[in-house]
Amino acid sequence: MRRVAIIGCGQSKHGRRTDVNQAELVAEAVWAAIEDANIGVEDIEAYAVGNMQGFGGICQPDLVFADYIAAGGKPMQRVATGGTVGGSTAHLGYYEVASGMYDVVLAVSWEKHSDSAEPGATTGLLHVAFANLSYMMKIGMDMRSFAIMGLAGAAAGISAYQAAFYMARSGCRIEHFDMVAAKARRNAAKNRYAHLKWPGCTAEDIAKTEMLIWPLRFGHVCPASDGASCVIYASEDAVRRLGIKEVAWVKGVAAYADEEADQGESYQGTAVVDYSDQTGAILSARKAYRRAGIKDPRKEIDVAEIYAPFPHQELMFSERLGFFDDGTAWKALEEGVTEIDGDFPICPSGGVNATNAIGSSGMQRVVEAALQIMGKAEDHQVPKDVKNAVAHAWGGQVQFNTVMVLGDRPKGW
Amino acid sequence: MRRVAIIGYAVSRLEWDAEKTREEAVFEVAKGAMRNAGVEREDIDTVISASTDFLDGRTISSCMLIGASGAYLKDESKAEEDGMYAALYAAQRIMSGVHDVALAVSHTHSWIFNPHQVTQYMLEPWFDRQNDLLNEITLAALQARLYMSRSGADETHLAQVCVKNLRNAVKNPNAFRKMPDVTVEEVLESKLYSSPLTELMISPPCDGAAAVVLASEDVAEEFCDEPVWIRGIGNACDRYLRDRDLGRLNSLRIAAERAYRTAGIEDPFRQIDVAEVSERFAHQELMAYEALCFCREGMGKVLIEEGMTEVYGDMPVNPSGGALAGDAVCATGMIRLIEAVKQIRGEAENQVEECRTALAHAQWGLCAQKNLVFILGDRR
Repeated sequence: MRRVAIIGCGQSKHGRRTDVNQAELVAEAVWAAIEDANIGVEDIEAYAVGNMQGFGGICQPDLVFADYIAAGGKPMQRVATGGTVGGSTAHLGYYEVASGMYDVVLAVSWEKHSDSAEPGATTGLLHVAFANLSYMMKIGMDMRSFAIMGLAGAAAGISAYQAAFYMARSGCRIEHFDMVAAKARRNAAKNRYAHLKWPGCTAEDIAKTEMLIWPLRFGHVCPASDGASCVIYASEDAVRRLGIKEVAWVKGVAAYADEEADQGESYQGTAVVDYSDQTGAILSARKAYRRAGIKDPRKEIDVAEIYAPFPHQELMFSERLGFFDDGTAWKALEEGVTEIDGDFPICPSGGVNATNAIGSSGMQRVVEAALQIMGKAEDHQVPKDVKNAVAHAWGGQVQFNTVMVLGDRPKGW
Repeated sequence: MRRVAIIGYAVSRLEWDAEKTREEAVFEVAKGAMRNAGVEREDIDTVISASTDFLDGRTISSCMLIGASGAYLKDESKAEEDGMYAALYAAQRIMSGVHDVALAVSHTHSWIFNPHQVTQYMLEPWFDRQNDLLNEITLAALQARLYMSRSGADETHLAQVCVKNLRNAVKNPNAFRKMPDVTVEEVLESKLYSSPLTELMISPPCDGAAAVVLASEDVAEEFCDEPVWIRGIGNACDRYLRDRDLGRLNSLRIAAERAYRTAGIEDPFRQIDVAEVSERFAHQELMAYEALCFCREGMGKVLIEEGMTEVYGDMPVNPSGGALAGDAVCATGMIRLIEAVKQIRGEAENQVEECRTALAHAQWGLCAQKNLVFILGDRR
């Protein structure tokens, strides 16, 4: 199997970026990555792109700005899978190189929420819901599940539902969500690309914010950011040929799809009843670890970037990804295990809870994991030797999961 | 590089049926392709679907189709363009050695959202979309004019393409627009949309779905006696409208050259037995003849005049009727791929004699900005 490495990473500054248009925003990340890899633009053989086009209002924006990212005349492939799209784009770029078709591939994904009339993060799932609501009404279907979840606040609604499930199963309390959100904002303060920064933020600060949908407070919710993230992949031969020293090797990827949450029970019959089960995440992680040759994730992995727009998801996914036993992540949180300087740091960049430009977020997890391995994470570099890192993303109706394992050495070195 | 074969396929009828849901259509073709390939759902390692959120009228359009496409608890992703790009991604996943058997599914249901209207959202939003002059059809008309003035082709040549394809479609049970007795005059006299393009020169949007099963060289022959091998792939994206030469399909030329190089094809006219191209508009088939190097630049009109691209000609193009006989946007390219597979397996309705090497083409974007070419063969 062909060995593939990440040779360069780039991010735009994330936040409300009314100073640039969508094309300029993407170009910012792309040219930063090219500079970081220290290669020529002519070395890039193919592109992988992805965003959720509905949020920015352009159908296939990559076609409009092919020239901005020097893609004219070159192969370009596109994916779109909801919140996972950044992770899916990262996987696409990996497969483009691993297939043997290309040696150097640039993968970029982005979102520009401020171009849309309403922030995509809230309306995104609502767009799914409305289209299907009208369809379900037409064929006279049971709309019970929409009444309880679909229309009750879209992404935040479904996540609140999931958070309640998770609390019931694990015994964790809202105070633990406050702690996760405070950690995210504190870590973000050390990351110059992040959106919501709050140096010294404490759980008490978060606890003072308004309750939106029980059990989620205003301080728990991710922002709707603008931003782009980019990685450049190269085959082993190309790494040698281009004389690149600092790389992060891709050791294993997997992306297993589950049934969509709201209709699983009433519509397709696959009976997803507990949204905190996350069978897809468990399968993706197991498969990615097996492909990466990792047997004990808690011991062998040094840092994880988990896609957690809402704080309970950081706890929940850290269990599903095999770092903690089911229902115990909050205990590790209490002990400070997941802090930057803890035994098992999670989201040292501040994560999606502090910065969420949908398309960019999944890719940003890969970028941050790679930076930790290369030792280039600046102020939020974890103070230990990082050998393996995991980048995760979830999307769709809490149903898609992408997992990528990166390492300082290729698999079977 | 690991070799990949197509071992099964299924296509739905191209129709306009608001009663049929996406889930039903996708389920039928996914199941059909697996049955055709002789594989069970357990044999499938990875599923790639293709559709576009704007065309589907909902965000994350793939999320409701996980059950229907058989992707439930499988390694899954979605290509957001033509189905042939899903087949490409599926092939790449197999070539990487991570997966062995893949299912690629694509669908578009034009009754949900008029595809011509959706293409307006493909325009750059700061000027092009707001001037209210540009859309897919007016831009294609502009492209047709540029091509005609460069090559000396006229409206009659465009109409001849329509006559050929719409007559070929008569035998195709899945085609949407079939006209056994259509004449050049009839095409020219059909409703004028944007000069020089008349109604019959524009591919009719309709509903449709398609699926293919791909397998690695290690397992293909276990499932299938006559796998059809992917021998060359070429993919390229052109610049945006005003930064490119609209009168030429440069990205198709680049894609074709790449595909020919990997497949070892030096003289496409002689070595390729049949081509299935995605011509959203009649002139694009003539432009494709030139970009695919079936003739010299500007000579596309001669091929159609002389009948060389008829089913019985030296270089048959679109014996299935092509996109002009029905355009289920995201499925169109994948249907071309399937028609090429059928030709090699000897299962096509308009079968070309002794067909051993076939070309399939998919396009995407305004005025065919992006192009993808597969070369298929009966041998590795």
